[in-house]
Amino acid sequence: MSQLSLFKKLSNSLKGVVARVVLFVLYRGIKVLAHEDSRIMAEFRSWPEGLTVALETAVNGPGIVLAKQGEKLVRLKEKRNCDITITFRSIDAAFLVLTGQIGVARAYAEHRFMLSGDICQTMSIVRCIDIAESYLFPRLMTKRILRKVETKEFSTLRVYRKIFVGV
Amino acid sequence: MKVPGYYEFISPGKILSGKYALENIASEFTLLGSSRVLVLSDKVLEQLGQVKTLTDALVSGGVQVVRVFTDIPSDSSIEVVNLIANIYRQVNADSIVALGGGSVIDTAKGVRMLISQGGSDIMQFVGAEVLPYARHIPFAAVPTTSGTGSEATAVAVIKDNERKLKMEFISQFLLPDLAVLDERFTLSMPAKITAMTGLDALTHAIESYSCLQKNPVSQSLGRSAMLLISQNLEKCIKTPHDKQARLAMANGSLLAGSAFSNSMVGIVHAIGHSLGGVCSVPHGLAMAILLPHCMRFNLEKCEDDYAEILSFLVEPEEYVAIRKEDRASRCIDIISDFENRIASLSGLSLRLRDNKVDSSAFDEIADRAINDGAMIVNPKAVSREDVVSILNEAF
Repeated sequence: MSQLSLFKKLSNSLKGVVARVVLFVLYRGIKVLAHEDSRIMAEFRSWPEGLTVALETAVNGPGIVLAKQGEKLVRLKEKRNCDITITFRSIDAAFLVLTGQIGVARAYAEHRFMLSGDICQTMSIVRCIDIAESYLFPRLMTKRILRKVETKEFSTLRVYRKIFVGV
Repeated sequence: MKVPGYYEFISPGKILSGKYALENIASEFTLLGSSRVLVLSDKVLEQLGQVKTLTDALVSGGVQVVRVFTDIPSDSSIEVVNLIANIYRQVNADSIVALGGGSVIDTAKGVRMLISQGGSDIMQFVGAEVLPYARHIPFAAVPTTSGTGSEATAVAVIKDNERKLKMEFISQFLLPDLAVLDERFTLSMPAKITAMTGLDALTHAIESYSCLQKNPVSQSLGRSAMLLISQNLEKCIKTPHDKQARLAMANGSLLAGSAFSNSMVGIVHAIGHSLGGVCSVPHGLAMAILLPHCMRFNLEKCEDDYAEILSFLVEPEEYVAIRKEDRASRCIDIISDFENRIASLSGLSLRLRDNKVDSSAFDEIADRAINDGAMIVNPKAVSREDVVSILNEAF
């Protein structure tokens, strides 16, 4: 008998698919905003060259590895020994954050993820995610999950267009 | 008081509080299977004879003190931790007792972490909740001040001298097995230190009561801490040899430590850490200066919590006489008055300008403060400009 019920198996798979999509949009969103939004631009410039950040939705769950290479935020194919690794304690915890049910600050308060690396450096990344969420999520959602909804310097439509079309 | 949608709570280790608490460490260590103790402390406590009081208690209880190390600076550093870990291995110790303030206890936490996990460099364990359970090293923390609450926290702050940064380690496996409160060690604390450390503990209690990670357990501890501190800090300054008041303060500090270890602290600590780093303002004094200003900043988000705190600080008749909408701001006024009273009794000034802080340093303090880990759990988002504005108010 499988140790995992069919419901849990399906739920994990579905959440894994959603997590992959949201992580892709978040990565592309921050990459676009690092060139367009003055606040994310300033944060991104303060990161040390070569900084690597891994965001994992669970131990062995879907994740993403990002690196600062010059003026660009790039996605790395393989996870290596990253400077900062944020690992959600379960795919369910990651799902809460990635679908905008709770913010990063609340997730930290609820011990939803583990953090390996310098906490000070991570604060800058958290601010970038908060600003990116102000663009990517509907206001109804951001008002509930963010401590402060940042003003947009341009439209959400423009960010999504650049994420998916590239122009 | 509300129950959050989800919370976690880690209880502190066993508490030994009161007369001859020190003498019971040996029997506790025997139960934990240890007999060769490494004692960590600092030079001042050694000169005051307090280290001798501790080693006498340990040896008469039947454990062997294999080495006493007192060369711990006021800011514990990675180099010192790595050095002591090597000594621990050389002398074949099997347990640690830390006697001192936050720096000594945090150093001991770092040493224990390194011995327990193996390896030679503590930096590989930097982060939050990533440390796995490993070899158990019996560890007792004996605080000599009533402020940091480090004997009951799952946090260690250790300086990286190379990068001039204070690195944070957060893990349930950092909690000492024993928190030993013995009033013999705090009786001789000077008035200024008593005041600064006591107001630090008060800040822990208040911030933990109102931060994002608050929960019913941490708030219960925070409430008890506020009661003990508000009722005893003044007594400790006026009559330093009041043993009962000293022990009450030690308990208040421990409870506040356990509360903030679970709820974390917010903006007061974030700015205070930077104020200490840039202008060398003692931690407790920075907390005392910033607390009322930061509470005013957080007021709109913490109204209910501050109104509840007021009920712990005034008589019930006075509480009901204050209009509901005025209770939160009245709470800040009462805390500010309390701090001013303590400051005047102990000869402290609660203005930044009187404590060798130049306003030209505000930009650097603000830059550092917004990157402090404590900012993430502050109930209200804080910008760089907000920090500068608070510093100007406190100037």
